[in-house]
Amino acid sequence: MQFKASGNPMPLRQRLLTKTLLVMNLTVILSLVVCLQVSANAYSQKTITLSQKNVPLETVFKEIKKQTGYTFFCKYEWLQQARKVDIDVRNASLDQVLELCFKDQPLTYAIVNTTIMVRLREGRDVNVAEPSQLIDIKGKVTNDKGEPLSGASVEIKNSKRGTFTDANGMFELKQVDANAMLLVSFTGYAVREITVKRNTFIPVSLALNTSSLDETVVIAYGTTTQRLSTGNVSTVKAADIAKQPVNNLLLALQGRVPGLLITQPSGLAGSSIKVRIQGQNSIMNGNDPLYVIDGVPVVSQLPMTGIDAVLGSPGPNYNGNGNPLNYINPSDIESVDILKDADATAIYGSRAANGAILITTKKGKTGPMHFDLNMQKGWGQVPRKLNMLNTRQYLDMRYEAFRNDGITLTSPFASANDLKVWDTTRYTDWQKKLIGGTANYANISTSISGGTSTMQYLVGGTYHKETTVFPFPSDFADEKGTVHFNLNSSSANQKFRMQFSGSYMYDKNQLPQTDLTQAALLLEPDAPVLYNPDGSINWGPNATGTSTFSSNPMINVYTKYRNSTSNLISNFIAGYKILPGLDISTSVGYNNMQTNDFRPNPLIAIRPELRSTSQRYADYGDRNLSSWIIEPQAKYTKNISGGKLDLLIGTTILDIKTNTGYLRGAGHLSDEMLEDIHTAATITTFYTFRSDYKYDAAFARLNYNWQDKYIIDLNARRDGSSRFGDANRFHNFGSVGGAWLFYNEGFIRKNFHFLSFGKLKGSYGTTGSDQIGDYNFMSLYNLYGGATVPYQGINSLIPAGLPNPHLQWEETRKLLLGIDLGLLQNRVLLSATYVQNRSSNQLLSYSLPSVTGFSGQLLNFPATIENKDWEFSVNTINIHSRDFNWTSSVNVTIPKNKLIAFPNLSTSAYSNQLVIGQPISVIKAVHLLGVDTATGSYKYESKTDPLNPTYPDDYTKLVNIDPKYYGGFQNSIGYMGFEFDFLFQFVKQLGYNDALFWNGNRYPGNFFRGFSNQPVAVLDRWQKPGDNASIKQFSTSPDYYVIGSDYRYSDASYIRLKNVAISWEFPAKWISKSHFRNCRITAQGQNLLTITKYKGLDPENQSMTSLPPLRVWTMGIQVGL
Amino acid sequence: MLLLYKRRKILIYILAGAFGISSCKKIIDIDAPVTSVNQANVYNNDATAISVLTAIYANMSNGAITGSGFTGTAGLSLLSGLSADELTLYSGVADNELIAYYRNALVANSTQNYGSELWEGAGSPGLYYYIFICNASIEGLTKSTTLTPSVRQQLLGEAKFMRAFFYFYLVNCFGDVPLALTTDPAVNSTLPRAPREKIYQQIVVDLKDAQNLLSSTYLSGNLLNYSNTPERVRPTKWAAIALLARTYLYTGDYVDAEEQSTIVINNTAYYSMVSLSNVFLKNSYEAIWQIQPVRTARNTEDAFTFILPSTGPSEDANPVYLSPQLLGSFEVGDQRQENGNWINSITVNGGTYYYPYKYKATTVSGTVTEYLMMLRLAEQYLIRAEARAQQNNISGAQSDLNAVRIRAGLTATTANDKTSLLAGILHERQVELFTELGQRWFDLKRTNTIDAVMGGVTPAKGGGAWVTTDQLYPVPFADISKNTKLIQNSGY
Repeated sequence: MQFKASGNPMPLRQRLLTKTLLVMNLTVILSLVVCLQVSANAYSQKTITLSQKNVPLETVFKEIKKQTGYTFFCKYEWLQQARKVDIDVRNASLDQVLELCFKDQPLTYAIVNTTIMVRLREGRDVNVAEPSQLIDIKGKVTNDKGEPLSGASVEIKNSKRGTFTDANGMFELKQVDANAMLLVSFTGYAVREITVKRNTFIPVSLALNTSSLDETVVIAYGTTTQRLSTGNVSTVKAADIAKQPVNNLLLALQGRVPGLLITQPSGLAGSSIKVRIQGQNSIMNGNDPLYVIDGVPVVSQLPMTGIDAVLGSPGPNYNGNGNPLNYINPSDIESVDILKDADATAIYGSRAANGAILITTKKGKTGPMHFDLNMQKGWGQVPRKLNMLNTRQYLDMRYEAFRNDGITLTSPFASANDLKVWDTTRYTDWQKKLIGGTANYANISTSISGGTSTMQYLVGGTYHKETTVFPFPSDFADEKGTVHFNLNSSSANQKFRMQFSGSYMYDKNQLPQTDLTQAALLLEPDAPVLYNPDGSINWGPNATGTSTFSSNPMINVYTKYRNSTSNLISNFIAGYKILPGLDISTSVGYNNMQTNDFRPNPLIAIRPELRSTSQRYADYGDRNLSSWIIEPQAKYTKNISGGKLDLLIGTTILDIKTNTGYLRGAGHLSDEMLEDIHTAATITTFYTFRSDYKYDAAFARLNYNWQDKYIIDLNARRDGSSRFGDANRFHNFGSVGGAWLFYNEGFIRKNFHFLSFGKLKGSYGTTGSDQIGDYNFMSLYNLYGGATVPYQGINSLIPAGLPNPHLQWEETRKLLLGIDLGLLQNRVLLSATYVQNRSSNQLLSYSLPSVTGFSGQLLNFPATIENKDWEFSVNTINIHSRDFNWTSSVNVTIPKNKLIAFPNLSTSAYSNQLVIGQPISVIKAVHLLGVDTATGSYKYESKTDPLNPTYPDDYTKLVNIDPKYYGGFQNSIGYMGFEFDFLFQFVKQLGYNDALFWNGNRYPGNFFRGFSNQPVAVLDRWQKPGDNASIKQFSTSPDYYVIGSDYRYSDASYIRLKNVAISWEFPAKWISKSHFRNCRITAQGQNLLTITKYKGLDPENQSMTSLPPLRVWTMGIQVGL
Repeated sequence: MLLLYKRRKILIYILAGAFGISSCKKIIDIDAPVTSVNQANVYNNDATAISVLTAIYANMSNGAITGSGFTGTAGLSLLSGLSADELTLYSGVADNELIAYYRNALVANSTQNYGSELWEGAGSPGLYYYIFICNASIEGLTKSTTLTPSVRQQLLGEAKFMRAFFYFYLVNCFGDVPLALTTDPAVNSTLPRAPREKIYQQIVVDLKDAQNLLSSTYLSGNLLNYSNTPERVRPTKWAAIALLARTYLYTGDYVDAEEQSTIVINNTAYYSMVSLSNVFLKNSYEAIWQIQPVRTARNTEDAFTFILPSTGPSEDANPVYLSPQLLGSFEVGDQRQENGNWINSITVNGGTYYYPYKYKATTVSGTVTEYLMMLRLAEQYLIRAEARAQQNNISGAQSDLNAVRIRAGLTATTANDKTSLLAGILHERQVELFTELGQRWFDLKRTNTIDAVMGGVTPAKGGGAWVTTDQLYPVPFADISKNTKLIQNSGY
């Protein structure tokens, strides 16, 4: 604390600034700067009259100052150590009063002119001496390699003054107390305190931060560190991403981030991924986070082309038609930052209600040219097989079903190709045949980087190929080629800087039109061979020539789906430092994604008997997404009242144009010609969608850090989106966050020696969501694409849906409270966070009966959903020595989703779906009592008929399939050149357990061409009265109720060894002769081991129709030149 | 000082700039996508207004879409034919839904929902979606001031006619149904089921309006008179009269039924009983209203569904053939059954399958020769015969019945009292109108003969015992769960 900064020209300027700030209506700062600001008017009065009891010394000082004009010079911490005083004097002299004040205090004082210097008794602090002299100083800030650091902050401790280093790392400060202490900091480096000690040139070398507390954390429009962050932000670095052989970087985040649950619905390369940050906020869709790549937001969900269903991964975890991050190369990523709370996301306003994922690509670094090469080769397999019936068991099940139903096999109603036509002595293990193969994985990436202090560059390229586990030729593969570049440059005086980055990916993904997993599981074990002896597809013709194989899985060889996508993301930032502390910049981003997909339906893939009445055709889809964003912004940094103020204001203009659809060409002369749409006899538009999304906003952030003790962060944003009607286009969002770094308080340091860091943080604010698709406020009539011959020669129009011109923003209010602790020199970092998010004014496709013409209408509904999360993480450095390092980290999230309010729920269309107080994903099921030992039927808990429960009255059992808790446990061990890493991921949950019996209408014993086999679990069925069985008697008829019962859900918890990475770095002396900079060999594995009680293929995707996440092994070598 | 002013000015400029831009509404104004029009302007322009009603016909014709309701494997002709005694389901069919129709074992619960396609659609919209388009058109056309008056009048007539047409099928499949006459979801989402009498009243009102509004000539795609052979693919005044005649018959208003059918029958300039093999051709003189096929190089979807290929019935494309009950009901010498006129057969592996052969053209290439029949003259004769018999006009009934019999190569009817005539007419309807949009199924229900007939047929189909509640299809489960005022038909 300083009551007067003598000889300092700042106060005047400061008042002017204060006025400016007033204009901006940011009065909050003023209340912080407050009372300690007093002008230096001289007072003639020298006697003091005071009467106060048990007041802090500070209060007395202020009073003395008011009455005498004398100012105090003192460290704030000392004042807090001082005891309170009782004072009662009338017209006393200054000396007398001071005598009283300092009696029995740990402090003493000296009067210099009109300043009263306060200091500790007995020289307990050697740093502060009397202000003997003011000197001009210069200095240079470098890193541990001696390279200059530009933009480092140099502050005079306990003052409002400071500066930043220039391009050469130089700084200059005038009129500094010769004994002042300098505080030098630079993001990513440990803060250093240096005493001036009358030196006029001060070299400062900063060491890289070893504590993760000081690693850079990217936040919206800026960076911070875990130490100083007020929000709930988690970071995953390139090193962790590089350890995982994944083709979508989101999959590298699984298990690593508290509050982030990523589910992989399918093991097919390039398919969709379900991402939830702190649960589901919206009853409907629109639960995806905002993705921002180098400042350029990309769409969260790709719009469908109409023929890309295979990428949508059917199953309970379905999430859209492919993920946009499939077209980003994971090895180009420097870091991924996950922003969760209001403080971190409010500045993204409308788009970040579900959190934001900021992706930063690799940048060039100062230094000589580096060449890096990384080659990996790998193998992927389905990790687990399901025990399905073999032919004998299958046939017995079928015969038993016929017997139970009293149907004789010869009856015309006994539809039984599997028994009557097929060779019942055959047995095929379809899982082995169809999904038992090995996918090949190859990845080669190179990069060249380097730079000088004014210019850094990086150019990289990657080739990636992954084949499938299906028995198809190797061109069924996902192949990706990527180029990434980055250029940073600044003027010699560091005033002007620019950054240009771009990445371009071309992805050619060839997949079967249908995932073979369902066929692998459910194809009858006596189904015919797939190929005839002559190599053609076997259709299993019966005696009359009718095919009995309704869809031989091998037709996928001819009906290959091909998706070619190119994705360009580029970003240009230019900035200029107009004045010290004031920096203006503009970021311009451009994203263009072009997809062409192709789905042929040749005659050869059609059953022979249907060919004469069928036409060959092919679908030609395309998608063109182009978006640009312009974000001019200004940053202002200033030291005010012993603290650091950062102010950011900016604006966003965003435009996303989407153009997608597909054409069907039919009547080509031969199957081979299908590739070319121009050879089609007729071409029809089947689906077309064009949209334009416009968005603009203004935003401001104010961050004030007072002496690294108190930090306050304010965000405000005003958003406008074209997705809403005229009346509701604009909305305001804002947040307030604060942190108290209590470890920096003297009394904490003094009393809690085991602590090395401590922070309490909290934030509250609003964010919104406009994830509803475009044009919903308009009542559109779209072209009817089904008629390939126009009716009466004219095109027709059909209404697209029920419009709602009153649509408004959905709003989420987020509250966060957290504590971060560092123990034992930060070797143990603990963090606990409590989160409460409430979403209201829900934008939902309000479910409507079909009598309205549609199944729903988009509207705002005053339902409130609450997500409460507890997030814990512990990071420890177990061993840290020169040769041996061992670190661990654990994170656990306990989420709880709850519907808080839903007015008139009982009379609404959701009355049978939602329950107040329950998660929104709750399932109402009928309780299965078991199999009746007398009759062999399922019995249900029913008020009326235990055999035929009535809906909804008997569907009262609530099933919660949300995870109870989830998290990860990671260890990194390094010894000499070896590094060993492993990550366990765990989820505790209930899930769909369709492997108890297939998940459709196929009851054990029922035959449905190609989908009739059953898991061996069905063998525990009722056969005769008295049997105590879990499965009712076999039947050729479907069962109507069991699928709606609680029997369908069982424990789907799992612990998965998600990742193991081993690497060994060649010792330097081995490679020194070869001119290599470094050389490292690696072995990595993904999804290696799963411990679960779950009965199906995989507890994560819980699907009988989608390929489970693959187990992947890779070997690789990394070389640096 | 200069420096300070400069700094403050810059800050103010930036702030003003940022907030100035963002409060500019123009930046986020968007137009409707170029591929769409909207409710506000679709009815302002003749071409777009016409294309909305046209979309209904195109949709109805498109058997490529499951649940389009009027043709193909999910069409009413096939589904109700399975429910009744017209069609046999091929034993290889494993589709639970078709099995449920066939065995009169429909079901509506949270996991299985068989029997509600016509109402809610399946994978594509059902009849209430079409009704929504009719209501939207009526609302839009009523407000519109910019359309050519004749266009506006014809379209308003078509919308009312189509609304009546759809309600006719809803009420006959499901019994009491919600009567949605507006596009307002707030109103429609809470509608209870209206009694069937009320639905019929509305059908009559709409059809009377339609009679006054619709053109008496067949119109082209831009609602002008044809310069060449008129295509009978848009509803006319005559279609409204024909459907009204049927509606009166179903509601027991025989006087009006006779009056309306007479108007159509007397319009001999347009309609006449053509020879059996020409009835289902496009632009046939028997046709009061037809629907044009809309798939490339394909004739009607019914032809594709019913005509069996040389390999016989199959589990999905050709799942049905004619039932022994129907085949056994033809009189000896009935030309409809003979000579491959309306019935044909194929022998596969020693087994002979008979199939409907009213539509004969399945060629993939070549010109389209057949249109889907929606309303035709023979039915009007049978309506009038029945109306007259009910009014004890025996000779009048006989002559109308004979008009149909004689074309089929049969002798004049021997029935000469009301009871035997009504039985004869019911039988004639069975063999004349088979696999035509549920005529047989509806006849059994409205004449209360269904229990007697199906009591024998259902067990023979493997469906267990017939219960009288099987005659109504179930209300969609989803609608019941979303609208608490909807009550399921008994038996489900």
